[in-house]
Parts: sequence; structure tokens; C-alpha cells
Amino acid sequence: MRGVVSVIIGILLSAAAVHVISAQPKPFTPREENPEEFAAGSGRDETFYTCTACHNFKLVAQQGMSRRQWDETITLMNEKHNMPKLDDKEREVVLNYLETAYPARVQERGWQNPFLNR
Amino acid sequence: MGDDMTGRKERSIEELYGADAERADALVFGRRSGPSRRGFLNGAGLAAMGAAVGGAIPFAANMPGGLIPAAMAQGAAPTAPPAAPAKKGPIYLNFPGKNDKLVVIGERPLVAETPEHLLDDDTTPIEKFFIRNNGQIPEAAKEPDKWKFTVEGEVNKKLELTLGELKSRFKPQTRRFVLECGGNGRSFFSPPASGNQWTNGGAGCAEWTGVRLADVLKTAGVKPSGIYTAHYAADLHLSGDASKPTLSRGVRIAKAMDPDSMIVWAMNGQPLPNIHGGPVRLLYPGWPGSASQKWLTRIVIRDKEHDGPGMTGTSYRLTINPMVPGSKADPKNFKILESMPVRSIITNPGNGAKLAAGTRDLKLRGAAWAGDFTVRRVDVSVDYGVTWQPTKMEKAKNRYDWQRWTASLKLPQDGYYEIWARAMDSRGFMQPHVAPNWNPSGYGGNPMHRIAVLIG
Repeated sequence: MRGVVSVIIGILLSAAAVHVISAQPKPFTPREENPEEFAAGSGRDETFYTCTACHNFKLVAQQGMSRRQWDETITLMNEKHNMPKLDDKEREVVLNYLETAYPARVQERGWQNPFLNR
Repeated sequence: MGDDMTGRKERSIEELYGADAERADALVFGRRSGPSRRGFLNGAGLAAMGAAVGGAIPFAANMPGGLIPAAMAQGAAPTAPPAAPAKKGPIYLNFPGKNDKLVVIGERPLVAETPEHLLDDDTTPIEKFFIRNNGQIPEAAKEPDKWKFTVEGEVNKKLELTLGELKSRFKPQTRRFVLECGGNGRSFFSPPASGNQWTNGGAGCAEWTGVRLADVLKTAGVKPSGIYTAHYAADLHLSGDASKPTLSRGVRIAKAMDPDSMIVWAMNGQPLPNIHGGPVRLLYPGWPGSASQKWLTRIVIRDKEHDGPGMTGTSYRLTINPMVPGSKADPKNFKILESMPVRSIITNPGNGAKLAAGTRDLKLRGAAWAGDFTVRRVDVSVDYGVTWQPTKMEKAKNRYDWQRWTASLKLPQDGYYEIWARAMDSRGFMQPHVAPNWNPSGYGGNPMHRIAVLIG
């Protein structure tokens, strides 16, 4: 049984460019990211793996948004970029992490926008 | 194979998958195979699989249903390398043929900008030219002259041309143009806008060789109903879905017919590099770079405004009525960004230059450009805008070239200075102090550039 499964995997892997095995050599390999590099918090690892099927996590970590804005971003990923939908529980975990770890950046002093209401 | 404490029977992964791979997927990872035989993992499943193999799984959407990641099939998952401490400061690009001081804004998709002091050459060398990808980078074409693209849609005669045919049938031209990312300057918005956080380095000015797009379109014969272009390319969407264009923008037919809008195959006299969209790309100078489709495969002439990815919502759009920064956008309040706003950069010295105590003379060098317009003047200030001094501008080689400028400044004493540059376009419009007209995707951020220098 093991032998059969290994052969099937070999055939399938030669067809699909799966990251865990390098297929063709590429001139540029994106650096391997780890969840530990990013802001700590409950739900970090789940969020990291949910968000990095297509792009790196740095793209996410560069943004600082309100919960509403993160929620709209997830919807945009689903509708425009093929991201599989999260169920309610998963979405809650991810939004809790993103809103806490990467909130909208608030300027403490200096000119304040009087209309700003997220 | 033993019994665990709950009395359930443990089964090896090979047993489970060997018996019924799709059911095993559903049991182990919650993965359901779609009709294409690809196993689409839901979020939790992807998270679980990622954790199990000890790394993110790019191209997860490509993975056939029932496939055990090789890392698991061979036994214990590889342990993740020890976590690197979060790095502060810029990450530099390591890419064949590219200067090692380009700043990485993102690695997947690959995006890297050129610090202003590396834009000091009159013509930007390929090794210093910024990189912007929306999707996966295609493999370099093995026989560039056999690359095919079509012109179709609202035309009298559909054209299918190879690069070789394009070169022999149409009159070539070489122009020095600025190519600029639509989101250049995005990092200057407050509050921050979503997207790649460019400073001023999503721009470069190279010599482009190709033919006039207008000549090719006239050969196809654009019908009166043809009012907009739609561009398609060979790069794959990040998810690996071949049916989904990564980016597909277009322009009004008048811009397509402009004599400076080109189909390009060479950059600075070299065959257009793969990373810059070779062998064949479009080039619409003065408009957002996303219209200048890389790896061109199709130009479709449409009878209405194109609505491909990158054309709708707030993508490459500016507000009609200015909105409160940071608030929720109304998609009806947006119009497409066409001519890029005026911008100037100081290219020498670089930000952070230290000069010897007693230095009183400082020579500046820089460049300026203004979308469809020209730059009337560039002024510089060493005192935060209290006083301004004109610069000496060089002539552009052709329309859409940038204009290089120089200035000689006197600095009154030792100490810390910020030097600002402000361009004015041919309409009399200057660069603003801050990124203007906030929009959630951060377009139009063209505030003045400044460098800090320290004397002594």
C-alpha cells in the first residue's frame, strides 16, 4: 500500500508545483517566512497559514486596519482572488488576531483629523 | 496501528489515503475536491496542513485533491527553521541582474523599489529598474521572436502576430520614457492606504524600443464601436488558477492611438528582460504602469470601458468628491486614474548624507516628470519651505521623458538640514506638502521629496 501511494504522489507532484518539494529551479525564491516573525497574539498561526496560500504574510503585516476594514479585505480576497471562504468560527479567529495585532495606526499628537471615525 | 485512549483505532496516513484519498482528505483536513480534481482547502484545513508540514503552502490551490504533501508522506514533518527575529529596516533584493540595494516591498508577489539616490543616471539602467508583479513570474520565453499575441474584438480584421513579424512589418522607434507604478508614493498617505508601500521608487526612465501601437491597431482597423482596449497576459494568478487573469487593464482608444503608446521588445538596447515583461509588453507612458501590460498575449478592443481585474472598485481610481481620510469608500465616487501626477526626486546626495564640517556649497541632482504634461520648473528649499531657489532644468529627449535638474545651494552653517524639492507641471500645478485626496487604495500620493543631510 505504501509503495502505491508513493508512486501516486510522485506523479502528482511532478505535475503540481508544490513548495515543499522544489520542482523546477527558479531564478528567485521568496524567503521562507515563519509565523514567529510577526506580531504575537491569539490566532497568529491560523491567520498566517490562512493568508499565505498565495502571497507572503509581509503584505498583510504592512497594513494596519480596523476590524471592519480587515473584514472587507477578507471578503475581497474571497470575491476577487479565489480565496476559499472561511466559516464563521475561522473568520472570528482571524479577525480577532488582525484587529489586535495590526490595528489602524493612530497618531497620538500633532494634527488630528476631526472627522476620522473608523 | 493501535488504539488511542478514546478507543478509536489509529490508522497510518498511508492506510487512510490508500483506501480512499478523497475521503481521507475530508477526514484529516476538511478538504473537498472540486470538479477540477483540485482539493480546495478551507481556511482551517489549510492552516492545519501548513502547520503539519511546518511551512506555508504557496500554490495550495494547485494541489490535486487527495495529495498528501510529500513532507508528511515521508514521515515526520520537517521542523521549521528557528524563527528569525523580526528585522527592522529595509530588506534588499537578491535577484539575478539587479542591483543589490533595491528595496523589497514584497516577495510574493515580487515587488521592489529603487531608492531615489539610485535613480541618478540620466537613463535608468536595467539593473536599477524597479520590479512590480501582480502574480507569478512566468518562465522566460525560449524563442522570443516566436512569441505570439493577438489584436481582436471591435476590429475589421483580427491580427495574430509573432514578435518577429512585428519587427519586420512595422516601423520601429526608440523613446526614453518614464514608467511609473500607479501606486508610487502610496506610503505617504495618512492614515496609511492599502497596498504596496512605495516611497518614490516605483519609477524609472529607460529607453524603450518597439513600434507604435497605433500602427498595429490601424492595420487591424478599429471599428467606430471600438472605444477601449483590454489587455491580457501570460502571468499566472497567485492562486494558480489559469482561468483568472492576474491583472487586465485597458485604456481609452485615444491613448492607445497616441504616437507614444508602444508595443515594446527592447529596453536600453537589450531584449526586454523577462522580469520586465519580455519578450513583448505594452508601454503607455505617463499613465499608471499597470496599463502597460507585461508578457502581452492579447489586445481586445471593446465597445465599452474595460472591467477586468484592476479596473473596478477603487483600483487605480481617484475620488470624484474628496472623502474623509480613513473612512469607508463609496465605489460610485471614483474615476479612473489616467495621467500620473507631477513628481520630482532628489537623486544626489542621498537621504542621510554626511558632509564634512565647514561644507557650505552643496550641489544637488534630480529628476522630475508629470504624466501627460511636462515639468515647467523645479524649486528646492533648505529651510522647510521658508525660502525657495530655482533649479536648472535639462531638456527632455522626447515627450514623456523625465527632466533632469541640478542646483547649487549655499548652506549657512554646520548642522542638520532637510532639503525639499517641489516640481510644477506645465499647467502650473505643484506638488503638495502631504499626499492629497486620500483614497483607500492610496493613488495620487505625490508630496514633495525631501532628503536629510548633516554637516559636521
